[in-house]
Amino acid sequence: MSDNGKTSAKLIELTNLEKIYRVGTELIRALRGVSLTIAENEYVAIMGPSGSGKSTLMNIIGCLDIPTSGTYSLRGQDVSKLSQSRLARIRGRQIGFVFQTFELLPRTTALKNVQLPLMYAQTSNKRKRAMHALELVGLTDRAAHRPNQLSGGQKQRVAIARALAQEPDIILADEPTGNLDSKTGEEIMNIFDWLNDKGQTIIVVTHEKEIAARCKRVIRLLDGRIASDELNERGLRTSAERPTSMARAVS
Amino acid sequence: MRSVIHILVVAATFVREMVAGSARNVATAFVQIWANKGRSILTTLGIIIAVTSTITVVSLVQGFGDHMTKTFRGYGTQYMVVRPYDPSGNHRHGVGRVTLDMGDLEAIRAECPHIHRSTPFVYARDGTITYGLETAEEVPVRGVSEQYQTIRNFFVDTGRFFGPIDIDSAANVIVLGRTVLKKLECDDSIVGQYVEMYGERFLVIGILESKGSNMGDDQDNTVMIPYSTATNMFPSQRRYFQFLVEATSEEDIAAADWEMTRVLRTRHRLEPGQPNDFRISRQDQTLREFDRFRNIASGVLGGIVSISLLVGGIGIMNIMLVSVTERTREIGLRKSIGGRRRDIMLQFLTEAVVLCTLGGAVGVSLAYVLTYIASLHPNMVPISVPYWTVILALGCAAGTGVVFGIIPAFKAAILHPIEALRHE
Ligand SMILES: Nc1ncnc2c1ncn2[C@@H]1O[C@H](COP(=O)(O)OP(=O)(O)OP(=O)(O)O)[C@@H](O)[C@H]1O
Ligand SMILES: [Mg+2]
Repeated sequence: MSDNGKTSAKLIELTNLEKIYRVGTELIRALRGVSLTIAENEYVAIMGPSGSGKSTLMNIIGCLDIPTSGTYSLRGQDVSKLSQSRLARIRGRQIGFVFQTFELLPRTTALKNVQLPLMYAQTSNKRKRAMHALELVGLTDRAAHRPNQLSGGQKQRVAIARALAQEPDIILADEPTGNLDSKTGEEIMNIFDWLNDKGQTIIVVTHEKEIAARCKRVIRLLDGRIASDELNERGLRTSAERPTSMARAVS
Repeated sequence: MRSVIHILVVAATFVREMVAGSARNVATAFVQIWANKGRSILTTLGIIIAVTSTITVVSLVQGFGDHMTKTFRGYGTQYMVVRPYDPSGNHRHGVGRVTLDMGDLEAIRAECPHIHRSTPFVYARDGTITYGLETAEEVPVRGVSEQYQTIRNFFVDTGRFFGPIDIDSAANVIVLGRTVLKKLECDDSIVGQYVEMYGERFLVIGILESKGSNMGDDQDNTVMIPYSTATNMFPSQRRYFQFLVEATSEEDIAAADWEMTRVLRTRHRLEPGQPNDFRISRQDQTLREFDRFRNIASGVLGGIVSISLLVGGIGIMNIMLVSVTERTREIGLRKSIGGRRRDIMLQFLTEAVVLCTLGGAVGVSLAYVLTYIASLHPNMVPISVPYWTVILALGCAAGTGVVFGIIPAFKAAILHPIEALRHE
């Protein structure tokens, strides 16, 4: 389906992005001129020490925040000039966010959690689509369970299903395995590998080398600047196997 | 043409969006309220109390009002009562003084064109009536003329009422109320028989139709004798001589009042500036007075309701602000997956409205329970909860939700998604 980075159209194009926070009189320059292009079907790891601006960058890419200066175009559309409600629309339809802390609604079943973005986007066939997304992460049999009845790994899989429900252009995952043990984290990464194999563009923020090693491109940030941006030979596998934990649910 | 279709399509989409969104928001609201049951109940207490007390009081006032109006209409609204009245109030007149007499009544009959019918009216001492071995004790005795039944719509349904001949001759004839009949343990066949009262024999000539009871006062526990008979037996009762008069129509009541006042003042030789030594009470005034009372009661009630809704609303606002703070992360999440400001706004506004409306519904149910309990009292007039109060109460409750939910909902809507998600 895909072969390394020289793929189709530019999906994300950042030029000279800056983000400055003002705390009292102090100015914190979280991003100091980041320029970056990400094409469709890429599988990118963003690494860097704490405070280097990884989350800040992800939030801007995810239209949750706007840059102080510089431009961001998503599929050729200049996002930095859009209204609040247009940004919400983009978040709902083009972007799937996966958080370190899952952020599932309590007292709400897995299925309803997955349906949430579909409801805001007024999509038809909500139930069918949500069930399909749950199937992709191998959780059809947990559809009626509430978050407090799920393990950490299962919660994160529900969150991934929620991100997938609208068939977004990009999945953005900010330390998705940060709250999970290494084995469960690996399971989550297996899902990402498989999804990317099927053509999904994914950006993962991580501290762990093992996780970055699975990606096809690794970008390192340092003090709000890109320190390195290289293709990852080991990540360029020909194909990822469907995660075993999911085989049961799909077959 | 095309633009019209376009507008229609946009409108239809908007309506569909609103309906779908509302259903989802209401469902979410129920989940949220159920998750905080105790808190929700305490919060809506103000609204519950406001709604319960309003509906109960309105139902009671309405019930009494309807009953009163009906009773007055049943007795006729055209009649007036003329009573002797001591304007100084504090010093007693000498025994035997008569402030109203038959001469006054005759003058009224002759000189007041707007008076249609009239009767003297004497309250004799309460009588003890004996028939065979049975007695009916302490029965109010009214001395009246034959006009009385027409003026008060109080007719006999067995036998006859006394006529002018009985009155002229001050005959010992008597008309019995239904309750008295029951106390004497006999039926309508008593007509034509004699009963004993004040140590004298009275011929029973008729039985009054049943009037039921008015606010615990049994209208059928009475007997009537000719006024002439009453004043003959109890001359001292003359000073309580009253008239019952009927105006030619309801519109003529005021004119009749004025005419009688003039006639009586002339006959009693009252100088201009001297107060009347009689009093004319008009049924239309009594009704009007009651209406005034009803309006004042409604006004006071309205004030109490607005204050309690205000207090209840502030409670709602407070709890909604708490809820928004507690659910800041949820709001951030909702925004990050495509929730717009207006979606969040509507969600929290719906929650406030649902909370208030539920409080209103509980209040309405409690009001039904309270009015039911009140209606169990034996002397209670018939009461029911008017439908309009239920609709109005629920409307006000929902309105309170909108008014006091706006600030918290707005606060939620304008949260920055990232800051909301970072909230501890
Ligand atoms: N809302 C904010 N106000 C002020 N400063 C902020 C804010 N958000 C981030 N910063 C600062 O911006 C810098 C980058 O933060 P960011 O969260 O992007 O780092 P990170 O690379 O994600 O770190 P970590 O690995 O610990 O998550 C940090 O110095 C941080 O203190
Ligand atoms: Mg971070």
